[in-house]
Amino acid sequence: MIHQQQLQFSTRGRGTFNISREVDDVIANSGITQGICQVFIHHTSASLILCENADPTVRTDLETFMKKIAPDGDSMFQHIDEGPDDMPAHVRTVLTQSSLSFPVNGGRDTLGTWQGIYLWEHRVHPHNRKVTITVMGE
Amino acid sequence: MVYQDTLQLSDHGKGSYEITDLVTDFISESKIRIGTCQLFIHSSSASLLIADIADETTKNETAEFMAQLAPSSDSVDHKINVGMDAIPNEMRYVLAQTSLSIPVSNNRPGIGIWQGIFLSERSSDAAERKLTITVTGEE
Repeated sequence: MIHQQQLQFSTRGRGTFNISREVDDVIANSGITQGICQVFIHHTSASLILCENADPTVRTDLETFMKKIAPDGDSMFQHIDEGPDDMPAHVRTVLTQSSLSFPVNGGRDTLGTWQGIYLWEHRVHPHNRKVTITVMGE
Repeated sequence: MVYQDTLQLSDHGKGSYEITDLVTDFISESKIRIGTCQLFIHSSSASLLIADIADETTKNETAEFMAQLAPSSDSVDHKINVGMDAIPNEMRYVLAQTSLSIPVSNNRPGIGIWQGIFLSERSSDAAERKLTITVTGEE
């Protein structure tokens, strides 16, 4: 059995947004008790991560790390049509995930207590982001 | 239902190659309308990535960034033993993906209009690469 649904998220600009609850609602609606859930983001300047959800400084530190390896406005980048954060956003995306898969059991996600599903907006300005969730199982 | 095959990709040398059309054709053949598609590359010096296809510069700079992040022996001091070639490749490998999953919707890859699927080859003397595609879902 398969359940597929698209969600839209409005981001507030660069940063991480916890979408675990929205994903879990889709799993609950699917009626599937055991199987796999795939989350996919339809963009190349925003991505997905499974990350520690207890201490927000973990995500602040990840942001700092990304700023170091792909700095905005760095002279190595030529693709700056949409601003100094344009090419760094694409690099951040390929270094993280466009899709995540995890087990479904008992009609819900089986993430660890301290794991959260985050949409990571890499552009400085707010964007609308499309995510497809596919739940497969019985 | 499940539709799976292992494809041999001929050697293109070092660089990034778009394989979106190949994946689209494979999903079409599978007849699966809704589900997921997983790509897996059987190599430790090649990887899979989803990158922007809107602009040629973005595509090139993405490849260039990956190259700078973990340079292969071509761009470092050649006094280093040639056997070192594998080390930077392996380093880059952990920052990249060996498998990639996308949704299948309406018998097509359910990806964004600016997203393209790429095979990134890091070895300059790569042999043929094996790619397994598994489409799972319902007709």
